[in-house]
Amino acid sequence: MKKTLAAGAALCVALSGCGGGGPRGGGDSKLTGDKIVLGVLNDQSATYAQLSGKNSVEAVKMAIEDFKAKYGDKAVTKNITVESADHQNKPDVANTRASEMYDRLGVDAILDVPTSSAALKVADVAKAQKKLYFNISGATTDLTGKSCNKYTFHYAYDTAMLANGTGTAATQAGAKNWYIVYPDYAFGQDMEKSFKAAITKGGGTVVASDPTPFPNDNFSTFLLKAPTLNPKPDVLGTMQAGADLVNVVKQYNEFKLRDKGVGLAVGLMFLTDIHSLTPDALAGTTFTDAWYWNFDAENRAWADKFSARTGGQRPTFAHAANYSAAMQYLEAVQAAGTDDADAVVKQLEGKKVNDFFLRNGEFRAADHRVLHDAYLAKVKPGSEVKEPWDYEQIVKTIPAQDAFRAPSADCKL
Amino acid sequence: MTSLLLQRVRTPRWAGWLLLAAGALLALWLPNGLYPAVAVDMLCWALFAVAIDLLLGYGGLLSFGHAAFWGTSAYTAGLIAAHLGVPFPVAVLGGALAAAALAAPIGYLAVKRSGIYFAMVTLAFAQLVYFVANGWSSVTGGENGLQSVPRELFGLDLSDPYYFYYAALPMAALGLLLAWRIVHSPFGRVLVAIRDNPARARALGYPAHRYKLLAFVLSAFVAGLGGGLFAVAHGFVSLDVVHWTTSGKGVVLVVLGGIGTLWGGVVGAALVVNLEDQLSQAGFTLIGLVTGGIFVLVVLLFRRGLWGSAVALLRRYSRL
Amino acid sequence: MGFLTQTFNGLVGGSFYALLALGLAVIFGMLRVVNFAHGAFYMLGAFGAYVLLAEAGISFWWALLAVPVVLGLLGILLERTLIRRLSALDPLYNFLLTFGLTLMLQDVVKSRYGSQSNPYGAPAGLRGTVDLGLFDFPAYRVFVFGVAVLLCVGVWWLLTRTRVGTVVRAATERPELTRALGIDVGRWIAPVFGFGVALAALAGVLAAPMRAVNPLMGADLIIGVFAVVVIGGLGSVFGSVAAGFGIGLLQAWSEAYGPGLLAQTLIFLVMALVLLFRPAGLFGREELPT
Repeated sequence: MKKTLAAGAALCVALSGCGGGGPRGGGDSKLTGDKIVLGVLNDQSATYAQLSGKNSVEAVKMAIEDFKAKYGDKAVTKNITVESADHQNKPDVANTRASEMYDRLGVDAILDVPTSSAALKVADVAKAQKKLYFNISGATTDLTGKSCNKYTFHYAYDTAMLANGTGTAATQAGAKNWYIVYPDYAFGQDMEKSFKAAITKGGGTVVASDPTPFPNDNFSTFLLKAPTLNPKPDVLGTMQAGADLVNVVKQYNEFKLRDKGVGLAVGLMFLTDIHSLTPDALAGTTFTDAWYWNFDAENRAWADKFSARTGGQRPTFAHAANYSAAMQYLEAVQAAGTDDADAVVKQLEGKKVNDFFLRNGEFRAADHRVLHDAYLAKVKPGSEVKEPWDYEQIVKTIPAQDAFRAPSADCKL
Repeated sequence: MTSLLLQRVRTPRWAGWLLLAAGALLALWLPNGLYPAVAVDMLCWALFAVAIDLLLGYGGLLSFGHAAFWGTSAYTAGLIAAHLGVPFPVAVLGGALAAAALAAPIGYLAVKRSGIYFAMVTLAFAQLVYFVANGWSSVTGGENGLQSVPRELFGLDLSDPYYFYYAALPMAALGLLLAWRIVHSPFGRVLVAIRDNPARARALGYPAHRYKLLAFVLSAFVAGLGGGLFAVAHGFVSLDVVHWTTSGKGVVLVVLGGIGTLWGGVVGAALVVNLEDQLSQAGFTLIGLVTGGIFVLVVLLFRRGLWGSAVALLRRYSRL
Repeated sequence: MGFLTQTFNGLVGGSFYALLALGLAVIFGMLRVVNFAHGAFYMLGAFGAYVLLAEAGISFWWALLAVPVVLGLLGILLERTLIRRLSALDPLYNFLLTFGLTLMLQDVVKSRYGSQSNPYGAPAGLRGTVDLGLFDFPAYRVFVFGVAVLLCVGVWWLLTRTRVGTVVRAATERPELTRALGIDVGRWIAPVFGFGVALAALAGVLAAPMRAVNPLMGADLIIGVFAVVVIGGLGSVFGSVAAGFGIGLLQAWSEAYGPGLLAQTLIFLVMALVLLFRPAGLFGREELPT
């Protein structure tokens, strides 16, 4: 770093106001440092470690290899590397690590970043540093709403997509009366609002909607209440996530609500959640997925390659999306002939693409929401599971144009 | 209440000045040797640790809920900076005052108990603050956090953490000086007297509860300075600031550095923040195991803490 | 009818508070130590059940027996090797020690099993619901409530009707006097600590079929339990249990009939009120200034 100022002089600078540090001067080379560096910043030790974690780094490495194989000598560079860091789902760690990646490690684009607060923070860093950022596993629509910026793309899913899918599609499929329970914090409140709107749009009614404490290990009060509501709800929509979701589902089964005619729909659920709860505990549960590994031959082929490298785990949507985002970024650099962020953004904005993750994909220019097909899924009962991780039955493909919300007025790029 | 195992170690005057000068030089050099953002974090956590030690080391009160004040100040400072566009020291000061204001009712209830009860009660109240911050997302942003807190100082661009460190340093120094003044004032001496022998202090006419309450509020103020700076330094506020693990971290810093030494908190903060950064940079994820392990060892074997042990050693040599 | 169901439900929820508070109070009574690691032992109890089932195929019923015994022995070992070393000092040091141990235990479990929740189902015989006359209720929950009541009554019987109990109670309520009478309290310290830990472990095993089994499951719960024992009066075993069930009831009622934020903050608001009007807790006595 070029921080060679004497400490005393720096103090003078700070106190008397002699201007701040300008941007670091780049060379004439079309690629800074003659190389491309991708950074995967995610949770490698806690809640989302299995959902994304270190295996997403592997997915990005696969993308780099495939890119080099595709372009061979015509590739813009062969020197493409990956940096990765664990942000422990803490936004302040994410902040430090992200600044460090862009600043010290020469990272051109950061990928992944679960946990909304960390996701939003990294968007701030990307904006300040004028470097690219593809958020994969964050859920908040703020990334394409009031916190949107030129250098941030929201790639895989968001709360609006989940509500659209599960709320509207499930209502149209016959679940007219809903009882919603949601954790009383920003994500839950957000989901509840989106779901209510989506259910009404689908022609259904929300019979009742209750906030629950967070975190909470006892949902019995609400589960007792559900069948006594008038009219009796067809489906219990739970917006809980992580350990709270596990609690709801365990207790839903304990109280035998399915036998009492109250189905289960989950606002946010990942393949790894089904894995840890077992398919039997969730059999018949409706939810929305951004991608499923066993959907068709193309997905399956990639999943096989991925599993071979990761000791058997089947990829989640996050792994696939990390691969796809890395690939699309490299393609954009290839097309632009430079890793200059503004040039790459220009390449991406409005671009329509198709890969195994982005079906009917589009990098929407208005808010940098990346559109693609989404899927309404049902959890298979254990008896229908034919191989490990074979948990989902895709009920319906939701076309890319319907899957996401319209660009928000809050977003000014 | 029996007092914690601590002796006021009197260092010779020259040694004190020498250490102070060395410390000041080190503080001025710090961001040239470390990643500047990490250096800023050290300042914030040092203030937090010193605030907890003010209460624990001198009042004999272990607060396991100081995240409530660190966090309240962080949110308040963040909101002030984001909406009023004032220079950041004003926002930080506003945050610290809010923390002190919250400390008054909590302290009023908490000082009714002492010892272990005090620790549990403060922990529980901090949890209450956590739930409020989490549920009240229209103000705090809930778990999305409060984003885009500016670092404004009369139009200066302080977005580079290197420069922000030097802007924050005077504030941190003032906070530490305040803590030092409190401890070495007549008030501080009465506080120690109450800690060591509450019955006697009461018999001498000192209203123990009121002294403890004032110490609690002052400690919350200093913790608030740290929390406010932390919010401005990171440019956002997340729910972590009010989580009980933050309170726990503060206590860890104090115990590692040395209870009742004041400067020990600074040493503890520097050490732990740096250690956490190194570990997370190395991709090592079991940070709790390492810090918890070191902490357990210190509690079992070096109850004076790092600074306390060093000072005791120094004293022994200077006697020779 | 709805009200009755919710009331019973509240008592079931309170069972966990009561069991954990009971262990905490028994330990505190004997050792003057507040065991921060109590939540970690609850978590280890649940993990014990999970690991026995997942890796050795051992059923819930054997786990219910074996896990508390093993962890109780671990507790005894812990008391003998570490906690005893600090017993002459301010009890805050043991609070700190057990806090540090909590950080370590959580991380050890996390490194081995990750922080995802692990699957664990109710035992085969208790998967249905039972008719309690006025309403149906999940059989497993009725069982949990039964076990909790049985344990609380059992501990009460131990404390009031046995020689060990008399010693422990005397040591709890009149520590100076007991020692002055030449009663050897020391030999009971480690077993009592182990017993308290076993209670936490048992609560953990009971929780495994109905709650998410993950490394942090004890951390958030234990803070609520601290509030419960402050409400009940930490020195009072009866008070801790009563406060545990009482808080469970209030939580169920406020969730069912109150506004959203009330349920999660209720426990702390009650604590504030108790501190305001009865600082020693509902069933506790004023601390003697020492």
